[in-house]
Amino acid sequence: MAVEKGETDDALLSEPTDTQHAALNRTPSAYNPLPTFDLPVGERRHYQQQYADMYFARLAQLKPAAEQIASEAWSDFEIAGETPRRVDRVLDVRQGDLCWVIGTCYMEMPLKPNVLDDIGKEHWIAAPPPRVKYTDDENDQIMLEDESGRLRLTGGMLKEHILVTGAIIAVIGTENKDGEFEVLDIRVPDLPRQPPRWERDDGDAAVKGKKVSRSRPKGGKVAIVSALGISGDAGNTLPLDLLMEWLLGESTGPEDQQDAATVSRLIIAGNSLSHASPIPTREELAHAATKKGPRKYGYDSSTWNAAPTDRLDTWLAMLLPSIPITLLPGESDPTATSLPQQPIHLAMFPHSRTYMELPGTKEVSWFNSTTNPAEFDLDGWRFLGTGGQPLDDVYKYVSGEERLEMMEAMLRWRLTAPTAPDTLWCYPFQDGDAFVMRECPHVYFVGNQPKFETTVIEGPAGQMVRLVAVPKFKDTGELVLIDMENLSAEVVKIEIFEGG
Amino acid sequence: MLYEFHRKQNAKKAGTVHATYLITGTRRVEAAPSQTNGVHSRDGEDTVMQSSPVLPSSSMPRPEEAAEEPSFIRSIMLVKEEHLDQAKRALDTVASIHVYSLEANSLSDIQALTECNRKVATSYSSEDPLQAWKQYGTIQNPNARRRTRRGPPPPPAPVAKDADVKTKPLVPTTTSKKESDTTADSKPPSAKQTPEPDKKGSTKPAQTKRQSSDIFKSFAKGKTKAKQESQSSAEATPAPEPEDEPMGGFSEDDAGDDATAAQEDETKVQAGPSKKDRAAELQAMMDQEDEPMEDAPTPAEESQDAETAIDKPDSQKDEESKETVTVENGRRRGRRRVMKKKTVKDEEGYLVTREEPAWESFSEDEPAPKKIKVPPASSTNAGSKASVGKKGGKPGQGNIMSFFGKK
Repeated sequence: MAVEKGETDDALLSEPTDTQHAALNRTPSAYNPLPTFDLPVGERRHYQQQYADMYFARLAQLKPAAEQIASEAWSDFEIAGETPRRVDRVLDVRQGDLCWVIGTCYMEMPLKPNVLDDIGKEHWIAAPPPRVKYTDDENDQIMLEDESGRLRLTGGMLKEHILVTGAIIAVIGTENKDGEFEVLDIRVPDLPRQPPRWERDDGDAAVKGKKVSRSRPKGGKVAIVSALGISGDAGNTLPLDLLMEWLLGESTGPEDQQDAATVSRLIIAGNSLSHASPIPTREELAHAATKKGPRKYGYDSSTWNAAPTDRLDTWLAMLLPSIPITLLPGESDPTATSLPQQPIHLAMFPHSRTYMELPGTKEVSWFNSTTNPAEFDLDGWRFLGTGGQPLDDVYKYVSGEERLEMMEAMLRWRLTAPTAPDTLWCYPFQDGDAFVMRECPHVYFVGNQPKFETTVIEGPAGQMVRLVAVPKFKDTGELVLIDMENLSAEVVKIEIFEGG
Repeated sequence: MLYEFHRKQNAKKAGTVHATYLITGTRRVEAAPSQTNGVHSRDGEDTVMQSSPVLPSSSMPRPEEAAEEPSFIRSIMLVKEEHLDQAKRALDTVASIHVYSLEANSLSDIQALTECNRKVATSYSSEDPLQAWKQYGTIQNPNARRRTRRGPPPPPAPVAKDADVKTKPLVPTTTSKKESDTTADSKPPSAKQTPEPDKKGSTKPAQTKRQSSDIFKSFAKGKTKAKQESQSSAEATPAPEPEDEPMGGFSEDDAGDDATAAQEDETKVQAGPSKKDRAAELQAMMDQEDEPMEDAPTPAEESQDAETAIDKPDSQKDEESKETVTVENGRRRGRRRVMKKKTVKDEEGYLVTREEPAWESFSEDEPAPKKIKVPPASSTNAGSKASVGKKGGKPGQGNIMSFFGKK
């Protein structure tokens, strides 16, 4: 090991000795996951119910909050001497009457994927490439919906706001002679209550009767990486090895190793495997149909390639003795495709399995394979993260490019996945929409984004949320480090210099 | 050390050794100008969208303020020696430079370096990382929690998967014999009380490939079920452990994937030759021929040794290998083999009744029961019938009189 400083070379160029070097110890990480997105297992999980119930539940959950914001904003609103009044149902709006109403936004977009079109086209033509955006300015319509009915919205104000299907909004305006509601202003429920740091851990300790300690150990850093994209081909896994060596403290110099020792947890936010989704794509199906030979019904296990999961598993197993890991599944990971994706089963990780607790035990695993989206407390801060599917879906609805703004919008709507179940597959929740945020997180991270972006937003009650868009490691080689003391984000980029 | 070697060799004869360096440092990155507001609009974009606040209460700092400060990123770069100076210039500050690897010629494919890590993983898989890695200078974490394994750990990543799939290890038969004997010996009472063996079986993590192939075998209907049943009939009880009870909760609809998977793999070896016959029969019956079932793992004699310290299956001696009958005082006493019926719920929720030979001690003052003759006959019957694996079949009742007998 050498540094290119001429005078100190000889000091370092000595024979290996037997002296024991002090090993670095990693900063501990206080971790406490929330079961917000755990679905019931086995027979208690039903799919018989309708999705409409989810919308009603969502409206019922968010109506009070939206009402409060709207009435504060519009109670003294006056136009031409008229004060607005609150209307309970969307269909109660009268023509010429200034009023405000709360409902669910519904975007009627002809370019949205339509299941009836899919079925009709399936046999005739190859699948068209998926659209980047569903927006079509001439044909899109925005409507407000609640239990009573729908109301079409118009007005220039609409273009200035990000709206997607499923967002609960309060609109003020009046009905014009076409029967459409002309919108003057829009309000959203905005950020919910944010728990102070360590609130949940202190609360748990108080409930158990333990003394609540005022002094907590100083937090370290958290590394968030996304889209490792391990496929079976061996061509591009060197950055993974470099990442592993850096995290383990095997490579780089002493200062960097000390820095690496402050990284107390690694969060992998989705898409660790690149082709492991259980649902075959249309191309795969077409290929299978044209294949000669005996037709195999059901699953054809000869096409199983264990190399990617094996690679992921050994990589994780090499990291686990030193650092705890939280693994969120993503779109291309071997778990259900509908949100909330359940944790990747420990059967996929034969080497790393010993670090996972068995399902059914209450203890938190060292290697925590968790749901997508996931909510957990880390060093007292509340984290909310997804593997990227909700944000990517919202992106398709909106004609802008600003992903951070969309993330902010999702927080202000208090919805983790606003477009579910419209264009995003999800579980038909019956009792309450699990995607409604009850408490505001301190850090909101979304994986699988094209580039790293971060900012801090502020809420009406002083909540501060750090938004982080985590880039794809496979493409950019970047991972995000978040400092637990001040919640600042920095990037570490691992690359292979190409010269030239 | 690497540096010294590199220097010496190149001093002797230039260009013999080529180094690849790992450089760390910081680099300045300009904030991307894409976050502009409507004034600097992109081509064809709707400028109105960008320029106005998109949400009424948006408090995000507008891009104009943020654009001035460049952000620093930490960079870790792998650089070939010819590009070293370039790389150093590209970084604003250089924290460290280390020789990452040495090779005779410049690496044509830099990805080949992953081979090193892979080799390390495979050749040192028997080490326990929590103890051994202190030597390697990795960052230690005293809080690491690991639970003990009950089965042997999976083999290190095999290169040729197909080769492994097809071989059948004979070495583990010694340990397996002990395990299989536990199943055969006197635990019938506990056999009655064990909950569904599929759930129990699921608790033992089996080898990778076996497991993965078994999971997907459950999709290939028919053949798998047969094999699974034959296995469960061969074993009276897998030794359950209480902590693994809750595992059952995880089995989803599809044929209890976990269940079919992790049976005690060694019991397969026990049923060796008959299994091959059954396999041949089944293959004749069904057209599907996925992977052959003999994919029991290549493992790890070595890992088994390592693991025996951690988890030792109860290897009891085989006590009763034969029936004994002693006569005293006109009482017959001893142990004998008896056919016992066992009704179990297998992975798909079907109730299957099987007859299994079990040992029991008896003591009677009646003459030797004629029943002794019947069990051997019906046991072979049961054996072959169970091997064919009729779900829900009732072996041993080929006798029509049973229909009229006591119900």
